[in-house]
Amino acid sequence: MKAIRIAGLAVAIVCSAQLAAQPPDGDWTMSAHDYASTRYSALDALNTQNVAKLAVDFTFSTGIDRGQEAAPLVVGETMYIVGPFPNPVFALDLTKPGAPLKWKYQPHPEPAAQGVACCDVVNRGGAYANGTFVFNTLDGNTIALDAATGMERWKAHLGDINKGETITMAPLIVKGKVLVGDSGGEFGVRGWLAALDLADGHVVWKAYNTGPDADVLIGPQFKPFYAGDRGKDLGVKTWPPQAWKIGGGTVWGWISYDPALNLVYYGTGNPGPWNADQRPGDNKWTSGIFARDADTGQARWYYQFSPHDLYDYDAVNENLLLDLPIGGTTRKVIVRPERNGFIYVIDRATGQVLSADPFGLNNSIERIDLKSGRPVYNPSYRPKAGRTTRGICPGSPGAKDWNPSAYSPKTGLVYIPHINLCMDVEPSEVSYIAGTPYVGTDQRMYAGPGGNRGVFTAWDPVRRKVAWEVKEDLPLWSAALVTAGDLVFYGTMDGWFKAVDARTGALKWQFQTGSGIIGQPVSYRGPDGRQYIAVLSGVGGWAGAIVVGNLDPRDSTGASGFVNATRDLKQKTGTGGTLYVFALPK
Amino acid sequence: MSSHCRNDPVLSNALRARAVAIATVFALLCSCQREDREYASAPTSNAQPPRQSTLQPGATAANPADPVGQHYQDNAFHIDEGSRLYRAYNCSGCHANGGGGIGPALMDADWRYGGRIDQIHATILEGRPNGMPSFRGKLTDAQAWQLAAYVRAMSGNVRNDAEPSRREGMAATPPLDRLPKQPPRNGDPSAGTVPPP
Amino acid sequence: MMRTSPLRWLLPAVAMLAAGGCNRVQSVLLSSGDQASAAGGIWNLMLWVCVPIYVFVLIALALAMRRRPTPAGTTRDRAIGRGLAAWLALVGALLTVLVTASFLVDRRINRVAVAPLQIRVTAHQWWWDIQYLDPDVSKRFSTANELHLPVDRDTRIELASADVIHSFWVPSLSGKLDLIPGRTNAMTLTPRRVGWYRGQCAEFCGLQHAHMALDVRVDNAAGFAAWRAQQLAAPQLPLSGAALAGEHLFESSACAMCHAVAGTIAGGHGGPDLTHLASRRMLAAGTWPMDRDHLDRWIADPQKPKPGALMPAVPLDPRDRAAIDDYLMGLR
Repeated sequence: MKAIRIAGLAVAIVCSAQLAAQPPDGDWTMSAHDYASTRYSALDALNTQNVAKLAVDFTFSTGIDRGQEAAPLVVGETMYIVGPFPNPVFALDLTKPGAPLKWKYQPHPEPAAQGVACCDVVNRGGAYANGTFVFNTLDGNTIALDAATGMERWKAHLGDINKGETITMAPLIVKGKVLVGDSGGEFGVRGWLAALDLADGHVVWKAYNTGPDADVLIGPQFKPFYAGDRGKDLGVKTWPPQAWKIGGGTVWGWISYDPALNLVYYGTGNPGPWNADQRPGDNKWTSGIFARDADTGQARWYYQFSPHDLYDYDAVNENLLLDLPIGGTTRKVIVRPERNGFIYVIDRATGQVLSADPFGLNNSIERIDLKSGRPVYNPSYRPKAGRTTRGICPGSPGAKDWNPSAYSPKTGLVYIPHINLCMDVEPSEVSYIAGTPYVGTDQRMYAGPGGNRGVFTAWDPVRRKVAWEVKEDLPLWSAALVTAGDLVFYGTMDGWFKAVDARTGALKWQFQTGSGIIGQPVSYRGPDGRQYIAVLSGVGGWAGAIVVGNLDPRDSTGASGFVNATRDLKQKTGTGGTLYVFALPK
Repeated sequence: MSSHCRNDPVLSNALRARAVAIATVFALLCSCQREDREYASAPTSNAQPPRQSTLQPGATAANPADPVGQHYQDNAFHIDEGSRLYRAYNCSGCHANGGGGIGPALMDADWRYGGRIDQIHATILEGRPNGMPSFRGKLTDAQAWQLAAYVRAMSGNVRNDAEPSRREGMAATPPLDRLPKQPPRNGDPSAGTVPPP
Repeated sequence: MMRTSPLRWLLPAVAMLAAGGCNRVQSVLLSSGDQASAAGGIWNLMLWVCVPIYVFVLIALALAMRRRPTPAGTTRDRAIGRGLAAWLALVGALLTVLVTASFLVDRRINRVAVAPLQIRVTAHQWWWDIQYLDPDVSKRFSTANELHLPVDRDTRIELASADVIHSFWVPSLSGKLDLIPGRTNAMTLTPRRVGWYRGQCAEFCGLQHAHMALDVRVDNAAGFAAWRAQQLAAPQLPLSGAALAGEHLFESSACAMCHAVAGTIAGGHGGPDLTHLASRRMLAAGTWPMDRDHLDRWIADPQKPKPGALMPAVPLDPRDRAAIDDYLMGLR
């Protein structure tokens, strides 16, 4: 017991050193709070003792009733919010009571883009650096605004909606470069990550995730840990001829950055189409993680979580950069709760997988072979065209979808909001018709064993086991936030915003917002010195498509089968689009 | 029916023959046009584009339906072809098997741009501003009519004798003849005329 | 209208029939592969065993009908009894021979292929989709209606169907095997003679069953390798202005909804893969020879030569159609 406490202390010390390099504790300048993607707020005015008195301080309506997935950003005295399509940006003045609107920017994206957004018309937020606020629009533009006035500084057109390319991710600003990736893995687009100059928006480098090495920015520096990832032009050779051109591998998730190694880390999305029979081979470089030099974009290493992805386990999840005591020494690692149901610990300098343990229910992958790095697929759950394969766990949203976890150096635990869904799948041959979905499966999802569709897990990455977990009836689609006051915040799809004890999982406080929560809660110190908690409420996303799209539950394959798992959601919540900001009463 | 009659020992030969004859004539009548397979000669439209709004300032004028639409929506072959094209052209990618996803559900009674067959035909060919692509030039006019006839049938708005066969596997939705034949909401009121079952 | 003399069509028809009997393109009797000759062998054996028996039985029957009844228990009666017993023994022995031969031939036809070339054939109404499988996935490719096989080498063919039951039959190379929706059958072909052969769907599969032919080319190893390399290469980009315009028309019109040209934005799987269309010998599953004139007429109205085919007549300006022809004729 004592040893564990000492280990925990060691973690705290190691991590606090890392956090020192981050922006002021009171601000929240990027979606994941810091480059290590911890979503940890060092503010501790709010704690398990006084959280019961937490109350609404002010609210703000975005005026859009689609899924609100963005994190509100706070820089000094201003809060910035990006809404879902049509992607307006609001700047709120936090110095005045009720936080009135400072400015508003409307990018007027192409309405037709809504027809090629796979899973609701969400936006996952913006990024701030050097007086510039940067965000993406659904129709494939990256826009930089003057953070003080809301005037447009530049606009870069990066995606073509006629080929199904949209942008929904939150950019990350690293060393004067804006990192942006595309969405559209369900439309047969070719995934990429681009670095734009923060000053004028020109593309400094662009790395594709399929195709020849020159396009993928693979050069002499590329030294993947596993032999299977070495070789020339694997982005071409692991596909049927020409299929890599429409092979997916998009970047719609999270990017982390290690300033010491000068590497950016990001996951690549699913290969297209979902029907795996149409793309034999490992389909590199989809469903994996790249480490790239932040200055040149040159790849350093790559690891594939799901080679020849059979289930749309696209690998866009967050990478928590932690320094953990492993095997007696402190290792610089990535902790990654992956969609395929395993939580990976990867050496972030070399790409070696140190451990991979299931954190949720899993029968489609038997284990991860640490020698080759490859998952061992269970052959009895391998989908075949023209027949229904039943009981695949996890389903295609994985054990955990986009919604990112948090890590507290105080408790040493990773807080994972995730889901417990299984599915039946029936693949069929699909035509690639540019700008239409390139999927080729009928599927339906349902609650896994236990009947609960959501789970909130606190995972101990050192002892490699669950510390505590909370079962939630509806799928968990919101991000997690952890504070130094030992509180963990998350929201549920029926509108409850909850605070639980970071050490035990005991519910300490909850509040019913107007609509389901699928957003990213943040914590900041206001100009008045008080600690605030903010979250956007507004159901939607893939899981909430039945509500925002008013889908018909009589068809179990609606919204790629998610409708079957959330047929009761229309009775439990309605659409919304409101920011809630909470604080202790004065 | 005829086989049932033939097995009935009570009926005399003459009666039996008459029953068979009547049944045959009846069967022939039923199948007259319902399944006409027009490979090359299917009619195409040249009527006015249908109205999109039910609101007409002041006195209202009728919005005549394109007679070509009636031809397609009563023909089992065309509806079945529409069903095949619905999957082949990735309509199911957005609208699933009627429940919707990226695009709206098609098996319910709500029609954003009108539920009359010529309105659906126009929606497919011209597209709609909030995400429905325009398929003009990508489909022949006859294919667009076939798709429109099938899409209309998905909400149960189809004559029983022209009903398309049910899908197999996971794509199966409740049988169309068991869906409530509710008139489509929105669009032209005449869209609500559901043929008697 | 002028009255045509019956000779005008009768003579060529007879000539064609006669020619069909003696060439090897589509012949059950003149085998050009191991499997067909194995089947041919047992066919011959059965013929030479069964014909004398049949003749003998007929003669015996004729004799029996003319003969007066023999009283039971006589010497003659016993002789007949003995004769019948001997006959039964002979028939039994011959049947044993035939069963054994059939068993052995079956084993020969279905033997495990040695390091075979792997091909997957999927039948559609009314054409053949052909995929060349390879352990190296980047060496896989698709073609349609034209099957190329290397001579003196085993080829294992997986047979599947996308819609109804079809049957794969290249008489010169092997017997028939059905393609059944929801199940995969497999057969091995070992061609022994270089040349062109014709296959035909042998299970009625709908209106255009007759126009569902398959061109089979058996080539020597070098020739096959050259063909394979050409199929694997991306089609050359159009050079002429008209062909470029044709490519744009192809990709922006109804064509790309069903057809694929590898490496371009056209990726439909509803109809045959057209990546190397112009290198094929026949058009529309053996309906017409492949040349520019026939291609143009085919695109103008596929329902004329092949009513019911799933390809519609797309209304195109003749000049646009000519541009598409230019593009497609360049896909070699």
